[in-house]
Amino acid sequence: MRSTRRSEAWAGLVALVFLAASALALALFLPEEPTTPRWRGAGHEEPQRGGTFVFHHEDNVRGFDPHTSFDELSNMGIKLLFEGLIDYDRETLELVPRLAEALPTQSEDGKTFTFRLRRGVRFHDSPIFPGGRGREVTAEDVRWSLEHMLHPDTASPGITFFMLIEGLEAFRAGDASHVSGIRVRDRYTIEIRLTRPDQTFLNAMAMTFAYPVAREAYDEYGDEVRRNPVGTGAYVLESWEPGVEVIFRRNDDFFIEGQPYVDRMVFTLDLKRDAAVMRFRNGDLDHTHRQSIADYIALRNLPAWEPYRVEEPNTDLWGVVMNTQLAPFDDVHVRRAVAFAINRPHWRRARVNRLLLTGQPIPATLPGYDPDLPEQQRYDLTRAREEMRLAGHPDGLPEPVEVWLGTGDISRFYGELIQSDLAAIGIRVELKQVAFPVFLAETGKPRTAQMLFSGWSMDFPDASNFLDILFHSGSIRDTDSTNRAFYSNPEVDRILDAARIERDRATRVAMYRDASRIIAEDAPWAFVCSNLQMEVWQPYVRNYRPHAVWSNFYRDIWLDLPRERWDADEPRLRGVAAFARFFGGLGR
Amino acid sequence: MMRHIAKRVLVGVVIVFAAVSSMFFVANTVGDPAIASLGHNASAEAREAWKHERGYDRPLHERYGRFLVGVATLDLGTSDRDRQPVFDVIMHRLPRTLLLSGMALSFEIAFGLLVGIFAALRRGTLLDTGVMGLAFLGISVPSFVSGPIFLLVFAFRLGWFPVGGYGLGFWDHVQHGLLPAFTMAIIGAATYARIMRSEMIETMQSDYIRTARAKGLHPFQVVMGHGVRNALLPIVTLIGLSFPLLVSGAIITEQIFNWPGMGRLALESIDSLDIPMIMGVVLFAAIFVQVGNLLADIAVAMLDPRVRLGSR
Repeated sequence: MRSTRRSEAWAGLVALVFLAASALALALFLPEEPTTPRWRGAGHEEPQRGGTFVFHHEDNVRGFDPHTSFDELSNMGIKLLFEGLIDYDRETLELVPRLAEALPTQSEDGKTFTFRLRRGVRFHDSPIFPGGRGREVTAEDVRWSLEHMLHPDTASPGITFFMLIEGLEAFRAGDASHVSGIRVRDRYTIEIRLTRPDQTFLNAMAMTFAYPVAREAYDEYGDEVRRNPVGTGAYVLESWEPGVEVIFRRNDDFFIEGQPYVDRMVFTLDLKRDAAVMRFRNGDLDHTHRQSIADYIALRNLPAWEPYRVEEPNTDLWGVVMNTQLAPFDDVHVRRAVAFAINRPHWRRARVNRLLLTGQPIPATLPGYDPDLPEQQRYDLTRAREEMRLAGHPDGLPEPVEVWLGTGDISRFYGELIQSDLAAIGIRVELKQVAFPVFLAETGKPRTAQMLFSGWSMDFPDASNFLDILFHSGSIRDTDSTNRAFYSNPEVDRILDAARIERDRATRVAMYRDASRIIAEDAPWAFVCSNLQMEVWQPYVRNYRPHAVWSNFYRDIWLDLPRERWDADEPRLRGVAAFARFFGGLGR
Repeated sequence: MMRHIAKRVLVGVVIVFAAVSSMFFVANTVGDPAIASLGHNASAEAREAWKHERGYDRPLHERYGRFLVGVATLDLGTSDRDRQPVFDVIMHRLPRTLLLSGMALSFEIAFGLLVGIFAALRRGTLLDTGVMGLAFLGISVPSFVSGPIFLLVFAFRLGWFPVGGYGLGFWDHVQHGLLPAFTMAIIGAATYARIMRSEMIETMQSDYIRTARAKGLHPFQVVMGHGVRNALLPIVTLIGLSFPLLVSGAIITEQIFNWPGMGRLALESIDSLDIPMIMGVVLFAAIFVQVGNLLADIAVAMLDPRVRLGSR
């Protein structure tokens, strides 16, 4: 017995020694993280065909029905599977024709748009068609697709963008079998007539909701059409394993000769950020778009990745929303005091510089943003205290203010920043953190939430998508208001209404700048930031740049294959020196 | 023998029935699958319509009856989350877990037995103490600790293996499976090594070993033909019993290494309260436990002439 115990004790001791020796060996001899990409391309200059491109997301995709699926993940696949009549240029935000021969013509009164379709564009081959061969897309398909999307039974979230189409109300009420404003002129020509001019309407036609779909697919699959997409896009759905991956195969009948270039696209699902970045840096993934803070710092500080990464602001807007109907924020001076008290540079440092600071309601990526806006909100504690004095509260507010937040650590973190900043002007803040659906429902009701931290991401790249939705009095409702500050300024409404029908682009932009100036001055929001997003891709992935509108848009890439090892001869720091370098990098 | 097997199968069926039945009632009472699927934001009407479409508005006993009929006819229903036939999804995922578990089991047996035999034959030496120390460490470190470390060191830093995933094509699957299988195998290999060592020590002190040596048999024949064969008996039982452990170990390992097998399916379905899928996974897991135990019994009987199942 004693011998056994002694043996066990020795074994335990050996285990401890081995553990300590392993830790020491790791610290001294383990190579540091790879500092270069693992693989590089073969060096071709002309686009090559072939290969498999692997991308990822941390969630699960719900479906690929362009009429009902409207989220980042679905769009990543929909943009491979479908095409619209028009789309945005990747670099400039300008609308360009896709399934249409050219951009639509507009009638004199500005109410009618006429689209002419390309000839010979075919739906994907599918068993739903006679003989399995995809048939040609016609104007009738465009009409059916729009009417299907607009029908109440479809419950498309895109309906709000098409409300100006003539005859829509009667169609949705069941009083008409067709939408009178959508007229097929001939096999390749279709007209859309609005009840009043609207220069933002073409943005709606570029959204995925307006994509032509095959009627036969909806007849055959019903609700399950989201799993059985039949489109006109560059790729065909090959397989989909929920929670694991979606595989797309090149559409050999794609209407642009010679494209797409890549044989297969593999969409890896449900892959968490840390794991994704490790796989990316090992060369197992070809693109990554979201990183933890540690991975973000690491990738940002590695010079070898410089040519293959881009960090750009999202077209979104975040800020502290103040309910202008409720005290104390019914006083413009208190609102301005808050707007000047928010220490934006501190927020940016706290978020490891992943914020683009702002002080106005139009994001920096959109026409209408004015970098020299004189009334732009900024951090200025002296002015904030002066505004509090003008409001009659030189020593601060007697009662605490309640700020509503959604769930999650980041929301709470922002809430604490607000607390800390407003304490400097004598405003005590209490945090009210609620489930996100509750947050949306309650803050959308008048006279309910005093203050909230909120944001808005663009649906389409136009200033109206921010100003009309967030600051027009028409966006105030008894429930589900998107104007959560309940801000109403007749002058702003007038400018925004006029801008929607203005056909001269430069004049429109000037009008939005005027509105932006007034809103910044009235301060229904303390505008804070847009998020910065870093995208990184492998050296052998060519022709990729973040799209100005669509997230993770991979349709046009090609792969410079065969790839070869880059890091084989790379000198790599080891052990303690590597740790020292990592921590040194944190300060950059 | 056949009678014993039939009896064991019958007991196994009863155990599987009890396991899935209790799981059915637990899964159907812990939450609202409509909320899990549609979210808290969904209206009451939408939730009711969802439930009606999937039969959740029927009484529990009626659903239970339907479930049992489904099990008997191998119709496990349709996934609430993905609207895919549960049986098809499981048949898609199961081979992957079997591949991973098979590789892990191979590593366990190969490493565990070899190390155990060597340690026993070098009993009391530095080699014995060192090897048993490593085995002690192997048993002590769970896969949720060793997995991320291996991933970081051997895949990411050293670049010897893919960083998780499943790959495309059979050999790519095998390559992707090496590291997770090794992770899963560590505890089992360490356990086998310790048991094999003690069994071998005991066996090598037996009279028949002394007799074999006295008859002048080659030491290799003595060790392999008499020592190892007799020492293997408890190991075979252990292998059968370790099958369910490999499946449960796969839940953690598959999650760490993003291996899309039954383990991840179990977590995904629990996460989304996908009751048909949960029931399918539980059913297959229960069957695997019973089959593993039965195979272990049969193997022991075949290896040990003293054991004759069913004889009186």
